[in-house]
Amino acid sequence: MAEEFNTESMLDMYLFENTQLLEQLQETVLEQKDADSFDEDSINEIFRTMHTIKGSSGIMMFDNITAVSHKLEDVFYYLRESHPENVPHVELVEHVLEVEDFISSEMEKIRGGDSPDGDASEIIVNLDKFLDKIKNGVVEEGAEPPPENVHTAPTQFYIAPMATSDSHFYKIFITFFPETEMANVHAYRTVYALKEIAEDILYSPEDILTDEKSGEAIIKDGFKILLQAQSTEEEVRELIGVGYDIQKVDVFECKAEEFLRGFDFGDADAPLAKIDLESSVEEIEARVSDAEKEEKKPAKPAIAPGDFVIQSREPGKQKKLAKDKPKGEKAAFISVNVKKMDQLMDLIGELVISESVVLQSSDLKVPGLNLDNFNKAAAQLAKVSTDLQNVIMSMRMVPLTNTFQKMNRIVFDVSRKLGKDIEFVMLGEQTEVDKNIIEHISDPLMHLVRNSVDHGIETNEERKESGKSGKGKVTLAAKTEAGKVWISVEDNGKGLDREKIIAKARKQGLLDDNKPDSAYTDKEVNQFITLPGFSTNEQVTEYSGRGVGMDVVVQNIQAIGGTLEIESEAGLGSIMTLKIPLTLAIIDGIVMEIGTSSFVMETSAIKEFTRVKENMMIHEPNGDEYVMIRDDCFPVLRLGRWYGLEQYEESVEDGVMLILEIDEKKVCLLVDRLVGEQEIVVKPIPSYIKKVKGLSGCTQLGDGSIALILDAPGLIE
Amino acid sequence: MKILLAEDDFATRKFMANFLSKYGECDVTVDGMEAVDAFMMALEDGEPYDLVCLDIMMPVMDGYQALVGIRNLEKQRNVPEDKAVKVIMTTALNEERNVKMAFELGCTIYSGKPIDQDRFEQALKKLNLI
Amino acid sequence: MDETSKWKENAEDNDTASSDRDDAQKGKYMTFKSGLEYFGLGIQYVEQIIQFQTITAIPETEDYIKGLINLRGKVIPVVDVRLRFKQPPLEYNDRTCIIVINVRDVTVGLIVEQIAEVVEIKEDNILPPPTIGRGSVQNKYVYGIGRVGDTVKLLLDPDKLLNDEDLSIAEQANEMIIEENER
Repeated sequence: MAEEFNTESMLDMYLFENTQLLEQLQETVLEQKDADSFDEDSINEIFRTMHTIKGSSGIMMFDNITAVSHKLEDVFYYLRESHPENVPHVELVEHVLEVEDFISSEMEKIRGGDSPDGDASEIIVNLDKFLDKIKNGVVEEGAEPPPENVHTAPTQFYIAPMATSDSHFYKIFITFFPETEMANVHAYRTVYALKEIAEDILYSPEDILTDEKSGEAIIKDGFKILLQAQSTEEEVRELIGVGYDIQKVDVFECKAEEFLRGFDFGDADAPLAKIDLESSVEEIEARVSDAEKEEKKPAKPAIAPGDFVIQSREPGKQKKLAKDKPKGEKAAFISVNVKKMDQLMDLIGELVISESVVLQSSDLKVPGLNLDNFNKAAAQLAKVSTDLQNVIMSMRMVPLTNTFQKMNRIVFDVSRKLGKDIEFVMLGEQTEVDKNIIEHISDPLMHLVRNSVDHGIETNEERKESGKSGKGKVTLAAKTEAGKVWISVEDNGKGLDREKIIAKARKQGLLDDNKPDSAYTDKEVNQFITLPGFSTNEQVTEYSGRGVGMDVVVQNIQAIGGTLEIESEAGLGSIMTLKIPLTLAIIDGIVMEIGTSSFVMETSAIKEFTRVKENMMIHEPNGDEYVMIRDDCFPVLRLGRWYGLEQYEESVEDGVMLILEIDEKKVCLLVDRLVGEQEIVVKPIPSYIKKVKGLSGCTQLGDGSIALILDAPGLIE
Repeated sequence: MKILLAEDDFATRKFMANFLSKYGECDVTVDGMEAVDAFMMALEDGEPYDLVCLDIMMPVMDGYQALVGIRNLEKQRNVPEDKAVKVIMTTALNEERNVKMAFELGCTIYSGKPIDQDRFEQALKKLNLI
Repeated sequence: MDETSKWKENAEDNDTASSDRDDAQKGKYMTFKSGLEYFGLGIQYVEQIIQFQTITAIPETEDYIKGLINLRGKVIPVVDVRLRFKQPPLEYNDRTCIIVINVRDVTVGLIVEQIAEVVEIKEDNILPPPTIGRGSVQNKYVYGIGRVGDTVKLLLDPDKLLNDEDLSIAEQANEMIIEENER
């Protein structure tokens, strides 16, 4: 691992490094699962991985992990040295994955602050048997016994502290009454009282007992304390007490990292970490890994013996260490708190909004004003702001690769357990999405993939019977289009059964009694499966449950502003597509008004806008309306009427027609007037409000009012 | 078992002395320099310590320096590796680089504070000290 | 803004050590008037109180969800309390306020007729709500009756107030499935 990261705690590093190794291991194993045997490189890799995990787990005294990796190391040592033939490959693959699962789950326990108490004895016994089996297959008369794997027992151990789960960290801010005399002495009393329960305590200003000026500083800026203790907030407050001198006490519980960061004074000595903006993420990563390969041992440790000598121990002062801040470590990477990234994103959004407030200021609307220079400057401002947005968005983008890889494993597991032969294909996994999105789609994707494997793809016999050639195939694909990322799960299974679904929906009273089954489009029928409680499966299977999944999947997707589209053809398969907007979308939109309400629509969805005359309109008896524009006939949607708005223009001649086109489907939208085009920040409609058809978000306009964002595909339906 | 403890904070010192006395006779020092002195005295008396427990943040000489001092004394006297004293460093510092440096300098067990007593015993058993 | 500062002063007078978090605030309720009654809401849920402002309506939502407001950059949904209680709505006037509450990470504004004051109600002065009463709709959200002097305040559960709904079709469907399988 690069030097930059070794200020992480021992435990975190252990978990981080080994989790990475295990993920890599899983990838390698799955790649080779269909081969006849593992190739040379893989055997070496697996051997090395187990050796490393055994070593580090030994130091941490995680005995079960150590034992199980020790055993697997032995197996692969044998494979490496003796090259036996006819090794039962599939069995071996299962063993490796079993070990990997065990270790992963133990590490999860550790991560959660629990003890890794899993019992690996069965796995170890099975591995022993396996090893014996392959050894026996190779016994020849008079042959030399295979070389034995040599293990060195660990001689140094690391014990993680107990603090992490039980200790609380508090930021305490005390304000004294301005008239208080000798506030520093009062402060010292408080600190002294807290020392009773403190596992660690830091305070600022530091020199409160002997420096009289500190009293003034305390009155002016307040007294800050960082406290680590097992006590609850109430107990802390009690100890601080309420006195005539203390005006206000704020106590905030915080995380260990915040506590360790200390007071935000700004480290004058700390080096300016450079954030590399020029190179792309790939370039930076390549540079770092190159640097890692060259650097074996650090030339000089950044800390040294003697750094931790306590220099001063006067009462009332903190312990001062001789340790200097590390000198001049340039980092190609810095790790940033995700919260700060979120703040940065919000600020960018605010910047865009402020920009439009300035540009639309009524002060500028004085007639006869020469705005040439102003406009030039405004254009420059717009450019810089756009560049800033792009860089910040790119900082948060993470490729989908890991998420997709997880699915690979699931397909493998489930298909094996059900005895189905299934191929897994990934397309576009390098597509990058915002970090936030990854967290929200992982579970839904898993569910969809499970569904495909479990219910979508038929068993091998069924496939043969229906004359389907080839293996079952599940394809996971990702791409970005029009400000959204599309992720689809496609299978070549049996597809959704329209009859069954309609029947169930009827039974549950979800259908209109007056509408015959045939009146429902396939698309509508397919969407029924996303209703809560819906499941046409007669049995619950271990893998996809009782249909309590699909509605939750949809909810999760909607929570990030996305949609789920379902396409299916009986006998051929299904495609589930998630369409998710990139989180902080800043798009070009056209602002329009209907009555007193403002709406915005993405410029790219609007093909054209025009005024129409009454004679271009066609009115059907059932209320549907169409309009003829240049020999083309478009269905008309009167937005005001459709949404039941209070005011809107009745006459088409007084309004404006917008021609929307998406995927070759066209519709004409009637609105009252267009206001203008501007860049808008897409904000989600608060989740408290249930999804409204045709609306995909909201935004703040230059004058502070809120406009709803229209979703063209939703309206076209 | 003979144990040497170096810890500058009074409260912690009392706790550690109490805790360690379960396993053997425990001598107490308050800084790195005293600890090295005590270690040398025991070596010269022919009754060396079996276990040394060092805090890292101490006045005069820190835990790392004391560790180096102790290992150097052993080297001078040609103490064989299997007879070298086992050193436990106890500290609130848990950064990987601190641990790495401790191991490089010859520390046997690195335990974060507050001490996980069960694991502490487990480690002592692994080292055949108890 | 008057309301807000008055409320703030009130709250601060009542404790020297103010903190936004829960436990220290137990027992204190923000009260407001709706119709003929006074309601109380635990102060730990109240983020702020603002004057009535322009609401952007959202089509096709429940009648009590009046729309969205812009609170210093944050977009917040607002709910009309009277409509939520299925009472006929009143016209908004200059005494109408919006109480911004935060429950389980969801921020919503409540439009109320008139703000009253922050009161402290001890546990022993809280009685369970009547099972039959006028406006059974209210009773779903009222978890207790607090006595303050010679008046009573109906104490609201903000979670239920925001989230409880009449059994929807989906839930009915669910129940039917469960029934079916039990046969």
